[in-house]
Amino acid sequence: MSEPTKLPDVAEGRLAASSFSSGLSVSDFAACIDMGLEPVGLAQGYCAVRTASSVYFANAQQGGLGRSISPFQVSAGDYVENYQCPHGMVSAEHRMWGQNYQQPWIEATWKQGFTNAYARMVKEATTLGAHGVVGVVDNVSRIGQEGILEFSIRGTAVRVPGLGVPSGGPWTTYLAGQRLAKIIEAGFAPVSIVAAVSSVRVWASCITEYLMEGSGMTMWVQGAESTEVEQIVSARTAARSLVRDMARQQLQGDQLHGVELRVREHEYAKGDLEIQPVLRGNRIRRFKDFDPMPVPRLTVRLS
Amino acid sequence: MTDSTSPGSRLDLKSEVRRAVASLEQKTTGSASSTSDLSIDEELNLHSIGWEQVELVSGVSVFSVPAGLWNWGQGEILGASSAHAQAFSHAISRIHKEAASAGGHGVVGVRIERSVHPSHVEVSLLGTAVRPIGAPPVKPEEVFVSDLSARDFALLMIAGWQPLGLACGASFVYAPRRQMSAVLQQSSQNIELTNFTEAMYASRESAMERMQRMAIALKGTGVVQVNVVEGPMPFATHAVGFAAWGTVVRLAKQSHQLLHPQMVVSMNDAVVAFDAETLA
Repeated sequence: MSEPTKLPDVAEGRLAASSFSSGLSVSDFAACIDMGLEPVGLAQGYCAVRTASSVYFANAQQGGLGRSISPFQVSAGDYVENYQCPHGMVSAEHRMWGQNYQQPWIEATWKQGFTNAYARMVKEATTLGAHGVVGVVDNVSRIGQEGILEFSIRGTAVRVPGLGVPSGGPWTTYLAGQRLAKIIEAGFAPVSIVAAVSSVRVWASCITEYLMEGSGMTMWVQGAESTEVEQIVSARTAARSLVRDMARQQLQGDQLHGVELRVREHEYAKGDLEIQPVLRGNRIRRFKDFDPMPVPRLTVRLS
Repeated sequence: MTDSTSPGSRLDLKSEVRRAVASLEQKTTGSASSTSDLSIDEELNLHSIGWEQVELVSGVSVFSVPAGLWNWGQGEILGASSAHAQAFSHAISRIHKEAASAGGHGVVGVRIERSVHPSHVEVSLLGTAVRPIGAPPVKPEEVFVSDLSARDFALLMIAGWQPLGLACGASFVYAPRRQMSAVLQQSSQNIELTNFTEAMYASRESAMERMQRMAIALKGTGVVQVNVVEGPMPFATHAVGFAAWGTVVRLAKQSHQLLHPQMVVSMNDAVVAFDAETLA
């Protein structure tokens, strides 16, 4: 598909028919009806992407001997930290340098895949005349050779009878049923799902390598002070704050709610890590003040 | 929150939904954003005691353990115990700093991930920084970190208690090898391997004592929701480990506030005759 949001003709035909499909469980479906949200169809979007192989393999190669002579040149503004070997020339296999850097090309691949799949789902929902998409489910799977990702996003498009077509396109949320009802009752309107990914590559310095394999020279003596692996700590901390900041940038004054943060790590060689936190959550906007909350009444369930 | 027991006072949900959907047509107010991993129930619980969430915060640490340490020796494996203790305290102080700089007074619902490897110990903490609504920032050392959920935090506060921080104790101990003569003599009997039993007790005592010491250092009177992980180390045949952690609490009011919970009979749960989750 050259135009990312053009729907196949068959899809347009299906969506125009007068029956609906919904991915909601029966209880969520019932709750939607109770809220005055009328399901109009299961909106779906897919996108398969691949990172340019030249960049991918240059940076995903094995550690140790596979590393280049000098550290990677990182573009301005991206996270980078360099670590210098304090030993001098020990052998050709000795790690003379160590580096942590952000991998914007991985992040860009991910963003492209997610954004396209999302836009296609929203396009379907728009075609259905929906005001929103509830109970969104998303998935990323690796297919075929390294570096290929398939994104799928789907949710149930819903309409509020009697309201005009939304000018900014339908809102979306991972929530459905009672949880969605509670959000609205608490004074928040769902705006959109938010997803962000950051990617940080660690090329271990000699010290980091020794510490991660337990052969740090100062520690052979029983009872000696153990040592923190600063390079890894620094990379993990950076990866987590990067992903949070990326999500924050999408908020524009709204709140991010019910966040789930999953950190995927791959170790190429001792201390050579690829750290990839994926953050997902619901962007919500306050449309009325919190009612003064009573102190919860405590109950003991006899069950 | 509406009172679900009196249907008359219930909000008209349909009109609220229309209002919410219609509000999205207006320009954003541009207030300060916040991030949180709390559920709406937890947020409402927090709000009911006058607290709000500020930011998703984390703290991580990795400490190296000397290689070959796990296999031969006597008594406690000090290198591993100290790596565990330091990894925990570094991760905690990092989450303190993040929370304080975001304006939080504490972090609730902290998810604790810890793993012990032959050559390193990793600790990762993730939670939501919270504060009394609109309160000014505090110093990092005044921040509390707790693995209690926001709901349990609210309950604790209502009962007149306050969380002070996380306490953790861990100890790894060698189970000495039996002498060859003992192995031969005992080979045809059912016997207790006292070397393993004793190592378990030794590590348990040190770990619990360390956790208690941390709790007292935080001026706490007790530790709630204690988690225990114990047993042989999967990668070493003659080493056992014990780790315990929980939230340190102290009575903040004059006395414990009686809560007088109201009994309800829930109609939607399957009958559970026995709940074996205790100490799981």
